[in-house]
Amino acid sequence: MDASSFIGPFVPELLLLGAALLIFLLDVLGIRRNETLSTVAVAGTTLALLSVLGDLGFAPLSVFATLPANVIDAAPSTTGLYAFTSLGLIFQGIFLLSALLVSLASASRPSGEKGAPIFYGLLLLATVGMLLVAVATDLIFLLLAIEVTSIATYLLVAYHRREARSLEAAMKFFIIGALSTVLSFYGASLLFGAYGTTNLVAIGHATGAVGYPVLVLLGYGFLVAGLAFKVTLVPFHAWAVDVYDGAPSDVSAFLAGVTKKIGLFAYFLVFLGPVLYLRTVGGSSPFAGGPIDLGGTLTITLAVLAVVTMTVGNLLALLQKEMKRMLAYSSISQAGYMLIGVTIGTAPAITGATMQIFAHVLMKGGAFLVVAGVGALGVGPLIDDWKGLGTRRPLLGAAFALMLLSLAGVPLTVGFVSKFVLFSAAVQAQGYYIWLAVAGLLNSALSVFYYARVLKVMFFDTAPAPSTPPVTDALPAGGLGYGRAIAIGFIAVTIVAVGVYPQPILGAIQSAAQHFVVVGA
Amino acid sequence: MFPVLSLVLATLLLGTVVTFVAGRYARWVALATSIVFLAETAALIWQYPGWPGYTSGAVPGFAFQESYAWIHLGWLQVNYTVGVDGISLVLILLTAVLQIATVVYSWEETRRPGPWFGLVLLTCLGCVGVFVALDILLFFLFWEAVLVPMFFLIGYWGGPRRRYASLKFFVYTHVASIVMLVGLLGLVFYSGATSFDYSSVYLAGHGLMTVTQTFLFLALFFGFGVKFPVVPFHTWLPDAHVEAPTGGSVLLAGLLLKLGGYGLIRWAVLILPLGFHEAQPVLFVIAFATIAWGSIVSLAQRDLKRLVAFSSINHMGIVLLAIALGSSLGLLAAVLLMFAHGVVSALLFMVSGSVHHTYGTRDIPSLGGITPSTPVLATMTMVGSLASLGLPWLISFPAEFTALLATWDGLAYWVLLPLGILVVTAAFYIWMMQRMLFGPPRGIPETVHDLPWFEAAGMGLLVALTIVLGVLPFLLVNLITSSPIAGFPGP
Repeated sequence: MDASSFIGPFVPELLLLGAALLIFLLDVLGIRRNETLSTVAVAGTTLALLSVLGDLGFAPLSVFATLPANVIDAAPSTTGLYAFTSLGLIFQGIFLLSALLVSLASASRPSGEKGAPIFYGLLLLATVGMLLVAVATDLIFLLLAIEVTSIATYLLVAYHRREARSLEAAMKFFIIGALSTVLSFYGASLLFGAYGTTNLVAIGHATGAVGYPVLVLLGYGFLVAGLAFKVTLVPFHAWAVDVYDGAPSDVSAFLAGVTKKIGLFAYFLVFLGPVLYLRTVGGSSPFAGGPIDLGGTLTITLAVLAVVTMTVGNLLALLQKEMKRMLAYSSISQAGYMLIGVTIGTAPAITGATMQIFAHVLMKGGAFLVVAGVGALGVGPLIDDWKGLGTRRPLLGAAFALMLLSLAGVPLTVGFVSKFVLFSAAVQAQGYYIWLAVAGLLNSALSVFYYARVLKVMFFDTAPAPSTPPVTDALPAGGLGYGRAIAIGFIAVTIVAVGVYPQPILGAIQSAAQHFVVVGA
Repeated sequence: MFPVLSLVLATLLLGTVVTFVAGRYARWVALATSIVFLAETAALIWQYPGWPGYTSGAVPGFAFQESYAWIHLGWLQVNYTVGVDGISLVLILLTAVLQIATVVYSWEETRRPGPWFGLVLLTCLGCVGVFVALDILLFFLFWEAVLVPMFFLIGYWGGPRRRYASLKFFVYTHVASIVMLVGLLGLVFYSGATSFDYSSVYLAGHGLMTVTQTFLFLALFFGFGVKFPVVPFHTWLPDAHVEAPTGGSVLLAGLLLKLGGYGLIRWAVLILPLGFHEAQPVLFVIAFATIAWGSIVSLAQRDLKRLVAFSSINHMGIVLLAIALGSSLGLLAAVLLMFAHGVVSALLFMVSGSVHHTYGTRDIPSLGGITPSTPVLATMTMVGSLASLGLPWLISFPAEFTALLATWDGLAYWVLLPLGILVVTAAFYIWMMQRMLFGPPRGIPETVHDLPWFEAAGMGLLVALTIVLGVLPFLLVNLITSSPIAGFPGP
């Protein structure tokens, strides 16, 4: 294997690694200006994003393509560690886009912070792990890639290491993360015991033919649980709110917006193969008439997790008084919607779930960026502290209102499109899946309560007496800083643009999902 | 063909955007937009070929059709398809008239005029969108799009309990929409329709089994019924109306309630005939309950605005009854009633708004003999009330007469029930006028002025329409009966 064929496929990862190393080098050289570091990170992620988009076949960017066309969506191999599916590339694009936005917005962080290089470096390294998750076809490779991201994010959460709240959050995150890793690896080892391979395609093919139902079921059980921590499925969610709340807001944006999506992609990879396989072969599976119906058990488990997650997340979000905690719980409930896609497992459902993930990155990431910006303006953490913000700062208020309306699934926003496709897919799958759509729709009705309440506070409640002066020096762009303002503006425009005309993105995701389902089964 | 309907939507969209940023010139931009919109509507009606003057286009039976691909995923085919028939045109005309009346009536709005006029135009844009949409997703999109501006209109410009009312309005109607969406999605995917277009859903919907049709119809009816509103899902309406600013109430009663009736006709009754047939007894019970409840509760109201709000429930109950009959005459009556109620309730909400500005209260018992001090306002009150109770030569009379005739055709002696209730309706209006307009003056401040010109102009427009269409109802009737669906069955 010559060097180019090995390096070639991993250009985006290498670009990010290079940018991370450059940042650490600049740190050593004493160049620690926040804007400079942010520029390096933005440049690295932008180049990587262009490369991924080029690989996806986006014509104007074909010069940036680094993968040979015949590699993408090639016939699945039962031995390799990684493979390039177009769905994986789309996920890479989503991860890179959010890393790009967070780095851009971080240009507005208070300058002169000591840990700035570490922040950007870790952000990029975490993204490298995510990119690897998106190409994994081997269980061990997948879990290791998740570890890369996890370790980087443990440190990111502890970024304000003088603050007890941050440290507590990081500690919780770390302990829970370690537990989830252990569970996942234990599950993987059980599956290896049953199948004699860790390749996901091979496992998918062998699922119906192996005669150790209890071993397999236990293995999947541990994997469901271990990965559920990453996805923040109820009842494995308890850490998430404290961590999002304790972490600096732009880190929360990254965590809530993106890192749990790698867990979801892992769910796609690990469970779709067997579930689909067992569903299609049905009668010929040794489990079908036996004591344990593996396909059915997995489907029901995932369905129950999905419904419980969205319901509990929404109910708890209703009770929150702090903005970040409210957003965190709503983020948990959104994970439930996405899991619907895995449960149903058809190409339309995968399309819907992927679109929901894309939408969530924009909406939730954007919302946390606004929270970061508003925090820098000296507004407190409670929802009631936001009184009158919408009338005082109309543009910022409008952008945040858009994000909330999109989260609530109001039409002409990307959040509506994604839910629409997802729930349509559930209805289209017919059978019992329609109840997933009903549960999802009722939940999104429930969620309107707390989003509308924030709108009410922001626009209708009158502002309190002149608030405390901003804690930071007045930044340009009305105190937000250019980087953050651009990132928020970009997100707001994209939410509407994709909400009005989703065809290009949806079309790409749909064709990728079709390939993925064919490959995965 | 020239995309006229898109042009209408674009006019409103452009007007909305410009109005939002126009600051103190907002009212002029809003007025200009409204005039252009009214002119376009007039041109549409003028050019409308009538049925069966046209058969071309993707959806037979609709004029000025346009269809462009929007979301095509194979299993999910959504188009931007628009088109109108006589029923949509009548309701678009209503939108145009109420928009211009609202803009003129709130001419001196000083609290953030840009957003105020912008949101008014946006609400009208959403309503027009609902009336022209011939694709399920497009329809649902406009349907939901109306909620957001109305939420802000009530929540920012409303009365003392506006925050509660706006939240209640938003959540209530949004939940209903979501149930409706389940019904719509089920309709598409269970019927095996090839796309979300009206024509393909229409054909596929007719092929469904009775049981499926019934379930889908009930889901859709719940969504539309809350908007109507029908008893027992009406409780959002009095709160929303009482707290809404006058312009908001006008649009709420005049337009938003009509969305329910229109949706029920277009997307439920015609598409799921077997389900409709099964559900008919339920509809009759709910319609009678709504008529009776709205009217009897009105009798007990002290607040003028609350009284008008409950009488709206009563009138929309008659609309539901007319639709539930399932005959062409009933359908004609339903559309006529919607138009008439749109104009008259708008007028009455303006009246109660003006009474509130002028006298500082809307409490009927604490006011009396206001006619000498404010003759113009008193005249408007009188025309509105008389029209609402169904006096001949005013717009509601032909509508209610048709409705009663259709009920006699369909249900024979059951017609006595709505007839009896009409007496109660007349009673509470006459009693209200007796207490408020006549008798010795009571509760009248020293420095009272009659209506400012813009309020008088806004109401005057509606009064003129009430009289003209009351004398010449065939103008509307011809338009409605030239639609394919007025002569069941549809395309």
